[in-house]
Formats: sequence, C-alpha cells, structure tokens
Amino acid sequence: MIARNETIFKWSLYAAATALCLLVQTGFLQRLEFWGALPFLYPLLAAIPATYEGPLAGSIFSLCVGLVSDLLLPGPVPCLYTLIFPLAGLCAGLLSQSWLPAGFLCSFVSAAAAFLLHGSFRCLILWMQGAAAWEAGALVMVREFCAAAPFVIPLTLLYRSVFRKTRFDD
Amino acid sequence: MKNFLKQHGLWVLFAAAVLSVAMAVMSVLSANSSPLENLTGMIVSPFRAGYTAVANWFNDLQNYYKDTTDLQAENAALRQQIAKMEETIRQAKADVEENAKLRELLNLTKQRRDLTDFEACMVTEHAVTNWTSSLTLNKGTSLGVEAGDCVIDECGNLVGVVSQAGTNWSTVLTLVDTDTSLGAQIFRTKDLGIARGDFSLMGEKRLRLEYLPADRAPLAGDVVVTSGLGGYYPSGLVIGSVEQVQVDDSGAASYAILAPAADLDALTEVFVIKSFEIVT
Repeated sequence: MIARNETIFKWSLYAAATALCLLVQTGFLQRLEFWGALPFLYPLLAAIPATYEGPLAGSIFSLCVGLVSDLLLPGPVPCLYTLIFPLAGLCAGLLSQSWLPAGFLCSFVSAAAAFLLHGSFRCLILWMQGAAAWEAGALVMVREFCAAAPFVIPLTLLYRSVFRKTRFDD
Repeated sequence: MKNFLKQHGLWVLFAAAVLSVAMAVMSVLSANSSPLENLTGMIVSPFRAGYTAVANWFNDLQNYYKDTTDLQAENAALRQQIAKMEETIRQAKADVEENAKLRELLNLTKQRRDLTDFEACMVTEHAVTNWTSSLTLNKGTSLGVEAGDCVIDECGNLVGVVSQAGTNWSTVLTLVDTDTSLGAQIFRTKDLGIARGDFSLMGEKRLRLEYLPADRAPLAGDVVVTSGLGGYYPSGLVIGSVEQVQVDDSGAASYAILAPAADLDALTEVFVIKSFEIVT
C-alpha cells in the first residue's frame, strides 16, 4: 500500500511534468507548423502517462488533462477534451496492461489512438453541425499526428523518469 | 681652498671686478647682448632646446593620455546617447504606425457614425489548435469587451467575433472558423446570404457564402459585407470578396467562396466594436 504522501508526491510530479509540456506547447510549439499543422501535444499528455499508470489511474489523470485543455483551448463544445481524453487514457492504460508493455512503441500506438479519437470526435461534431468534412478532417488528423509524433520520444522519456522515480514498493 | 683664497683672493676679487666692469661696459656699448652673454647663450641654447623638447614630449604624453581618457568617456557617453536616440527612433516608428492605424480608424469612425465605441487590442496568440481559427486578445470584460462583439482591423474589415471574454483576455473566432456564421450581403446586388466558415476551406483561409438567390449568382470580385439583419452585428462591415462561384451537390443552389478582406495571418492589432447603433 502506498502511503498518502507518496501518492501526493507522485501525482505532483506528473502534474509538474505535464505543466512543463504545456509551457513548451504554448510558448514555443504553437508558433511552429509542420506539414501545415501545429504540433499539438495535448493528446500525448493524456495518453502517455496512462501507459505507465494503468487504465484507472491513467483515465483519472487524463480527465484532469482534459479539464485543463478545455479551460485553455477554444472548442465547438465546452467539454470536448474532458470527454475524449479519459477515453484516450483508458485505451492507453488497457493497451499497456494487455498487449504492449509501456515504452516507446506503446506510447506511439496510444498517441495514434488518442489522435484518432480526437479527430473522429471533431469530425462527428462537424457532421452534427451540418458541416460534415470527413475528408478534410482525416487529412488534418493525419497531419496533426505526423507533426506531434516526434514528440512521443521525449514525452515518453519524461513520463518514464517520473514513473521510475515514484515507483514505491507496495 | 682656504689657502687659495688667502694667497690669491685679492687677485680673484680684482679679476671679478675687472670682468664686471668689462661686462657692464660691453653691455652699454652693445645694442643686443654682450659677447659673453651671447657666448653663454649660444652654448646653453641647444641644452635649453633639448630639455624643452623633453618637457614638451612629457606634456604631450600627459595631454595625450588625458585626451584619450576624455575621448573614451565622451565616446561612451555618445554611444549611450546614440542608443537612446535609436530607441527613440524605434518608438517613433511604432508611434507613426499606430498613428496611421488610429487615423484610419478615425476616418472609419467619421464615415461610420453607427459604430460608437471601439477598443484597441493586441493579438497575443494566433490559432492554438488545428481545428479552430482563433485569436487571443489582451483585453476583456474589464474594458467592456464581451462575447458576441465584432472585431475589425484598422481598415474596418471584419476579422471575426469574440467567442469568449475573460477579465483581461478574450478569444476571437475568425471569419473562417467553422463556428462563425454571419448575415451577409453582396454589396453590388444587395442580395442576402449567410457567410460561414467551412472546415474544408479553413486551411486556405477561405469561407462560404450560402443561401444565395438561385437566379442571381454573384460575380468574382463582388464585395460582401455584413447585412446587420437581426441587429446582432453592425451592417456594412467588409467580410471579403467573391473568389469563385460554385453549385452545391444537389445542383439546385449556388454558393460562393469568399476571400476575407482582413489578412488573418498578419494581424497584430485589432479593434473590438463594443457598441453600435442599428441603422434602419
């Protein structure tokens, strides 16, 4: 059983790492463009920690990331990321628990799933608004993933170091 | 020495007296200087010149050092002065640009008496996701900016509509965003339509003009302005111009693709229309 202060320390470190990534995103990456798309790290922040922490804890952490994203980003619905990111976290947690051990490959696949969920949800909203754009949406989704994919490596290293630093023996 | 003076002192005194008298006589007789003085002067003159030259050299050296130190101090002061002047010039250039923008806005205010209250805002952030086209501004509800306010550039071209406003920030969805929809009018024909963002066109910074009368298609280059119907937005703000006219999938209606008049990528300063009068 992990002591309460150890749990607090662990999630504080995860939160700090995520805050650092958000700082890089808003201060630097938002001004760049690769293949016509901004490197959008938010889905990675929801998916990669969940690969280390499992489905339940990962989903809850992703829910918090979603909440912060909804507060920071404009969207067609007010709770877009709060809905999508826990799902992305759940998928990532289940993936690392059942099929792929947490690591670069698992992070990459989880990130792809998170971008797929995000893009599909966006396209669905556009369709519901009567402005369906499946083809353009798919194109943006692929570009967005390509622009963000190189950042899977540093983010995996970052969250892995947090995970190792806070892995207390039960 | 004592012995010498005892033995020859009288003679020395005498010789001195003779010499003094001779010199006095020669100085009286000669117009310029006595031959002895002249001889002494001639012998001493090169030495005088020598030590004067050395003294001058030292003086020059001292002056040079002093001058160099003074020049260095003056140079540093001048550099500071130049830096300040350059800063003033930069500020002046920025002021000139701002002045030009404000003059254009003033002209717009004179032309458009229905637009009663503006708030000048800096654009602090452009698009933050790949799925929206938005701007973040540095002013919010503390200065009267509210959701639903129209945002224009310095030429009066419509940029977008404020979607969210906080105390000291606000988010603007630009014309090309999928959530933007405005009543529009073709300036030439006065035909009404709806200008709305389309996700397929958002990447190209274009929007659609829909619900046009079936029998009156617009022409490329037609200017499209806000209609002001419903009173939500001011009328007559320039949205953009018609780039292409296309027929929709059903073949029954046509729509136009508009190029926004405002350069959405280059915006650094915009103006929020906080209040306006409805023109009937």
